[in-house]
Amino acid sequence: MRNLRLVSEILPWRPSLAGKLNLTTEAFAAIVGAILVIPQGITFAYLAGLPPEYGIYSSIFVTLFASLFGSSSMLGGPNTAVAILIGLSVAPFSGRGSPLYIDYVILLSLMVGLIQLLIWLGRGGKYFQYLSPAAVTGITVGVGIILILSSLDGILGLSPSGTLFFFEKLFVMLDSWEVLINPYSFTVGTVTVITGLIARRYIPRYSILIAMAAGYLAGLILMGLFTQVNTEIELLGHIPFQALPLSYPKMDLEYLLVGISMLPNAVTIALIGLAQSMVIVKRLRSETDQPINVDKEVFAQGIANTLGAFFSSFAGSGSFNRTAVNQSLGAKTPLAGILSAVVVFLLISIFGPLLSHMPMAVIAGTLMLVGTGMIKPQEIARLLSWTGELLVFVITLFSIVFLGLQTGLIIAITLSIIMFVLSASKLEIAIRQEKGAVQIRVEGHLFYASIDQLSGLLKHHRSESVVLDLSVVSYIDLSATEAIAKDLLKRDCSATSFVIVLTSQKMLEHFEQRLDGMPVQFIQHLSAQ
Amino acid sequence: MNNLYILLNALGYRLINPGLSLTASLTSLCLLSIAPVAAEPLAVEALLKRGYLDDYHSNVVFGYRIVTETEKYGARYTGNRLRCSNCHLNAGRQPDALPLNVAGMYPKWRSKNGRRNGIGLRIRECFVYSLDGIMPPEDSPEVLAVAAYISYLSHGEVIGNAPPGRGVPTLPDTGYDPNPANGKAIYVARCSACHGEDGYGKAGAPPLWGMDSFNGGAGMADVHRAAGFIWANMPLGSERSLTHQDALDVSAYINMQIRPGDPRKSKLLKLFESISGLVE
Repeated sequence: MRNLRLVSEILPWRPSLAGKLNLTTEAFAAIVGAILVIPQGITFAYLAGLPPEYGIYSSIFVTLFASLFGSSSMLGGPNTAVAILIGLSVAPFSGRGSPLYIDYVILLSLMVGLIQLLIWLGRGGKYFQYLSPAAVTGITVGVGIILILSSLDGILGLSPSGTLFFFEKLFVMLDSWEVLINPYSFTVGTVTVITGLIARRYIPRYSILIAMAAGYLAGLILMGLFTQVNTEIELLGHIPFQALPLSYPKMDLEYLLVGISMLPNAVTIALIGLAQSMVIVKRLRSETDQPINVDKEVFAQGIANTLGAFFSSFAGSGSFNRTAVNQSLGAKTPLAGILSAVVVFLLISIFGPLLSHMPMAVIAGTLMLVGTGMIKPQEIARLLSWTGELLVFVITLFSIVFLGLQTGLIIAITLSIIMFVLSASKLEIAIRQEKGAVQIRVEGHLFYASIDQLSGLLKHHRSESVVLDLSVVSYIDLSATEAIAKDLLKRDCSATSFVIVLTSQKMLEHFEQRLDGMPVQFIQHLSAQ
Repeated sequence: MNNLYILLNALGYRLINPGLSLTASLTSLCLLSIAPVAAEPLAVEALLKRGYLDDYHSNVVFGYRIVTETEKYGARYTGNRLRCSNCHLNAGRQPDALPLNVAGMYPKWRSKNGRRNGIGLRIRECFVYSLDGIMPPEDSPEVLAVAAYISYLSHGEVIGNAPPGRGVPTLPDTGYDPNPANGKAIYVARCSACHGEDGYGKAGAPPLWGMDSFNGGAGMADVHRAAGFIWANMPLGSERSLTHQDALDVSAYINMQIRPGDPRKSKLLKLFESISGLVE
């Protein structure tokens, strides 16, 4: 049975799985997704310390495999957090961008993919479901801010100061802007961002495309007037694009030694990639009615990163911003992702040469647009009325921006679990006086953290007859049963009675076993089931 | 031993950590055989054979690959079919053929741009003029790698002094103007077998003119400097067989031909040229 389920999760997506397939909607979403992923792929390759073509390969192959083996309209591919972590993990072993560095990145990506497949085999997907929506909003806004901050480097024409703490970076920028900032790059970047913001207001669908075109033109005009040599506008350069960039992770002794020391990083990257993907999956599941299988999505991420290593791709995960755009355009199946990979391939083969004169400031500008799009005031406003949720949001956001993505994500997961435990340990108790007995109706989970509330109440009503209604309690643990038994022993059995109302057979057996020989009666409500 | 310690640190191990004794001793056993220990730097070819390289040496090897296989490893910023090693012969290790062991001479004032140039700017200008490409940013991996390679080759040179055989020899004044007509005759007789009669190059020999060669801003576009290079290094295998005047004439003939424009002069035209060249 279990093996059968595993096999069904391995099978790729086929059109027959979707009931009704709206091909034009999916295709249009695919085209927009492809246009969005190209600048992101290039910048994330940069963040990971790789030449731009590797970002393109990841945008094609990781997206393709993640959608092909997935079950939702989530778009995978290169991802900010994962790219930054790859850069940090491999940098100590080799010079950025050198062939050896690329070998290590591919080895690391393979390790990430294999770890994710192990998590899939261990049915680990469900543990990522504990992220609360407030934490998710916090993560999204935090990643948006990180995107905006990292785009500043490109827009201002600075060399990337990614290792600097962000307000240290802002301070350096403000302190010596007249030496650091390249006015030409700044102009190009500003044109891109402002055009994009205006276009978003009137024609949101094509805003990124219009912004890129405007920035590209601005760059051409500036270079035509003052030459690239004098302006020092940083260009993307020629992308040596291969149709089938086959690669394989090298496996000799030295590589394995480096691999072993990269293992902790690989585990972190695998977990963070999965956490992000699962957040997206969770959101898709609550907002749409797609037939989403969480474990299948875990498998899709793992297999995409594993196979990606054989196609010169670095590891990726689900993308918040592209999935959101995909969803807003009405895509409902993995077909949009599969087509998007094909469109990236076609776009790069046709327009790739033109991209060589694309200023990096334009690419940074589109990143800033994507980042601003991730900060949605109405979502934050919705949280304002819930103190607990707001607290989770604020702490998550703060830790992501100030302590970094890894720490932020771990804090978000921890906070969500704490919130869940707190809410789970709270019992809803209703007390009624009826027919000379006290009726205590309990809702919630009865376990070691929540039992104190109930046992205090039982102690208070020790001299009266008690009807304990546990008919809607779905879970009871040993310490809760023992607490009830302890109270029973102290009770005056001759004058009062103690009745427990139950529904499930399992709980009844559990009680009969534990409270054997005690003065207690059970009433089983079968109707409630 | 010092190298070994650094290597182990790079691998994340601490030699003092007793918990890792087995792994650490295994690691050191494996690394002893591959760690570069020599005081004298190894030839780059020896580095190429190593499986494991630290940060610095991996950059040196990357730089070597950019210089020798520019079309593959430096493709991002190049615009023609030339390799660095087409002029910097023997991967920049041959005297009188623009050797690259010049790290000790920079920063240095150059009349070309009227600025004091660091080695980074010097490399970037090679991409713009000789490789007719795009100026890479100062901190791009390509520029950093080539800079690492240049400093690796400069081991043993006196800082601040010109190494022997720097650049190309300056030919003595022959007393005659360069004569392109004679240059053409010599080109056909001595050069065209490898570079082709049309100058577009053949397998192994780079294009000397046409849109796939260096542009008007390159050092080789200077008739006298190119003449020095030709006299000292060409034809391959029978170097210094041309007379000074013949070398000057050939150089004049080659530099009369059509080639990409100087990006400093024809601004809009140059941009149009590079964009239209891309679309084809």
